[in-house]
This record gives sequence, structure tokens and C-alpha cells, in this order.
Amino acid sequence: MTDGPTEVPPSAEARRRGKMELVAATGPAILTSALAVGFLMAGEPLAAAALGGSALLSAVFSMMLRRRVREERTKDELRTRQLLQAQKLAAIGEMASGIAHEINNPLAVIGREAEWIQALLEDAPPLPRQTAAEIRDSLAVIGDQVRRCADITHRLLDFARKREPLRQWVDPIGLVEDMVQLVERVLRGRDIRIRRCYEPGLAAVFTDAPLLRQVVLNLLNNAVQAIEQSMEPSGTITVTIGESLPGWVDMAVEDTGCGIPPENMGRLFDPFFTTKAAGQGTGLGLAVCHKIVTGLGGFILVESKKGCGSRFTVRLPRKPGEGPAL
Amino acid sequence: MEGQRPRVLLVDDEERFRWTMGKLLRRRGYDVEEAGSAHEALVRIQKGDVDVVVLDVKMPGMDGIEALGRIKAIDPLPEVIILTGHANVDAAVEIMRLGGYEYLLKPCPIEDLTSKIDGALEKKRAREKLHGGP
Ligand SMILES: Nc1ncnc2c1ncn2[C@@H]1O[C@H](COP(=O)(O)OP(=O)(O)O)[C@@H](O)[C@H]1O
Ligand SMILES: [Mg+2]
Repeated sequence: MTDGPTEVPPSAEARRRGKMELVAATGPAILTSALAVGFLMAGEPLAAAALGGSALLSAVFSMMLRRRVREERTKDELRTRQLLQAQKLAAIGEMASGIAHEINNPLAVIGREAEWIQALLEDAPPLPRQTAAEIRDSLAVIGDQVRRCADITHRLLDFARKREPLRQWVDPIGLVEDMVQLVERVLRGRDIRIRRCYEPGLAAVFTDAPLLRQVVLNLLNNAVQAIEQSMEPSGTITVTIGESLPGWVDMAVEDTGCGIPPENMGRLFDPFFTTKAAGQGTGLGLAVCHKIVTGLGGFILVESKKGCGSRFTVRLPRKPGEGPAL
Repeated sequence: MEGQRPRVLLVDDEERFRWTMGKLLRRRGYDVEEAGSAHEALVRIQKGDVDVVVLDVKMPGMDGIEALGRIKAIDPLPEVIILTGHANVDAAVEIMRLGGYEYLLKPCPIEDLTSKIDGALEKKRAREKLHGGP
């Protein structure tokens, strides 16, 4: 995990920066200039020593101004980027849901027709055994593929849906544990272990349980797939839940899987970005996670090292708008 | 009432879908009638004697949600199952608010639909018994 956290805006760093600016902009003038002086002295001790009285003050002032302008610019860039990402997601969502709805109808027709052929086959005079078996097999494949398409269209519609979270008090450990057990059931008989690191006595979180379950399940599924794609057939997933900072809860899913090459880090959350074979991935999992978590007032941190594994951390405020800002 | 074949009204604008689904349901012992639009369905509902309506959400003209409200206004007795391409809490709340029985994700295997139809029938019959029959 040496690549360091890549953060999804609004990142902790950005918020911290925003906070500091706020202090600098509104705090007592003395404190502000004291800070600026400290900065000046540290940065250019000789020049600072050579300056005196009002000269010092005006130098401090122009420096503060320059710094403010610089900070405003980064803040603007960040805002623009976030806005662009949001617009991109909205446009894609709109288009995707239209297409998904259109595709569902022909899909439903195909599914029904296959079921009808099956019914005819049951009523028909006996066919040669081999032939009957092959027809049945083909029909089963059609059914499976219809389900696969339906899975994609339903995901697209999930992704595009605009819904305000319905918040309640939720026990984060119970919620995550349910999803862990679900995945464990699927993993039975395989050499992938899930390790739990739950902080005891963790307080409830005011959040949307169904949405959060979807996030946790997506992360766990990705972790399993990452292990399947690594050199080793076996691996461990570590699920950690705890209070990282007062008022914030972290839920982390860490795997010993294939890891993420640095060039992919910036695209993980883009809709349709996938490195998986057709049928294995839609590239919507993390886009959905990002959308949900942002909607719940939190963010996702990613750390990864190619060939070693990855850690996805969901950081949620205990109660949106109430937790101390990061 | 008890021994009679359940009467199902299929409402979908996709003709081929209705046709094949009709055959599949008839083969399983349901009495099936079809309507190609919400308006056609409302006309049929006015004549009475429908147990369960299977209603597609996405239809040109009047959509399934509006049709649900109008059906219930004409006759609250038939149970209505909504077929939607899209499950979400808001739609579910709206469907329940309008008196719908259930909704189903489209496309779905026929068994999912028949088990919902059977559930709806049971509910309708229990309701009728409670009120001393229609
Ligand atoms: N735990 C992980 N380890 C390695 N790569 C991951 C992990 N989670 C996600 N990724 C990468 O991010 C991509 C996008 O993930 P996601 O949005 O869930 O879509 P999908 O899983 O359908 O491909 C994946 O294809 C994979 O390349
Ligand atoms: Mg995924």
C-alpha cells in the first residue's frame, strides 16, 4: 500500500484546505498576520530580518493576497472538476436509463418465447434423447443470458436513479456483517478467507441502510474478483470497521488480490470503466458506490499496490452535517 | 368462487409479449384476457369479474401507474401487479399508496409472476370472504 491514498473529491485534504482558508479569511486580523509572519520568516528569513515596521506589514499583506489567490484557484479547479464529473454522471445516467428501459421489453419477449418453447417441448411427442437434451440446454442458455442482460439493465437503472437517501440509525457492524456472511456463503469451499476487525461498542450511524449495503457488497465482490485475478488462487479479505476520527466511521475492505496499476487509479470511479472480461464486470460497481457514498455525505479512499492488493475505505459521517469537518 | 379458474387480465403494449405470456399462463390453468393499452384495460375492468391485473408500467398513452389509480377508482376488487423495468423504493411506495398489490422487475421468469399472481389471488379471496363475498 505505498501508492498513498487517492481521494475522490470532495477529499479530506480539500476540505481541510477549505477550513483553513475560512479561518484565515474570517479570523482575527492579528492571528492572521501572525500566521503570515511565521510563514514569511520561515520561508525567507533573511528578507524578513531586513524588513521592518510598515514595510513588513505590506509585504505580509501582498504575500497573503498572493496565497489567497493561489488557494482560490485550486479550490475553483476542484469545484469545476467535481461539477464536470457530476454533469458527466447525470448525462450518462439519463442516457443509460433510457436505453435500459427500451432493452427490457425485447428481453422480456425473448425470455417468454424461450419459456414457451420449453413448454411445447414438454407436450410434444418424445424427440430423440440427444436432440431433446440439446434443445433444453440451448433454452437454458437463452434463459441465463436474458437474466444476465436483465442484471445489466437493472444495474444501469439503479445507477441512474435519483433518490434521496432515507436515513435511519443503523448499526454499521451488523450491516457489514450481513454482507460479509452473504459473500462467505458464495465463497464456501474456496480458499478465500474473510477476516473481521470490528471495533467493539461502535455507535450507530445515521444513514441509508439499503444503499450502504449495496456499497459494501460491491466492494466485497471486487475484492473477491481481485483475488481470483491474482497469481495466487488463495487470499484474504480484511474487513475493518472503526471510528477513524471523532464523528466519522470508516468501513474498509482490504484484499490480497491483483492490485491496481497507478494508471488506472484516476478512472476507477468512471462509469463503465472495467478491466474485467465481458460478463464479469460492467464497470458500474464503483461508480454506483461513489454516487451513493457522496450522497450520504462521505467519501471513498483507495490505496493499492499492483500485485499486492488494495484497500477501499468508505468514510461516513456519523450524522451528516453534524460530524466535525475533516 | 373458490374452485373457479383465476381470471387474469394482461395489460402490455407489446403484442407478442402478451400473446406468449397468455399462452404460458393458460397452460398453467389461468383464464387469461389481454389488453393492449391502459384504456382497453379500463374498458374491460368496467365489465367486472377480473381477479388479477398484470400491468406494464411503460406504455404509450396512459402509463401503468396512472392506470393503476384509475382501475382502483373503477373497481377496488381486482388485485394489481405492476411489471416495471426498475425497482426502487419511491416507485414501490407510490404503487402501494395507489393500492397495488406488488411490483415485479421486468424481465422475470414466469414462475416469479405466477407466484405473485397466486399471492394476489389469495389476498383477494381472503378479502372477499371477510366481506361476505362479492
Ligand atoms: N479490489 C480491487 N482490486 C483491484 N482492482 C479493483 C478492485 N476494485 C475495483 N478494481 C478495478 O476497478 C474496476 C472498476 O470496478 P467496478 O466499478 O466495480 O466495475 P467492475 O467490477 O464491474 O469491473 C475493475 O474492473 C478493476 O479493474
Ligand atoms: Mg465491481
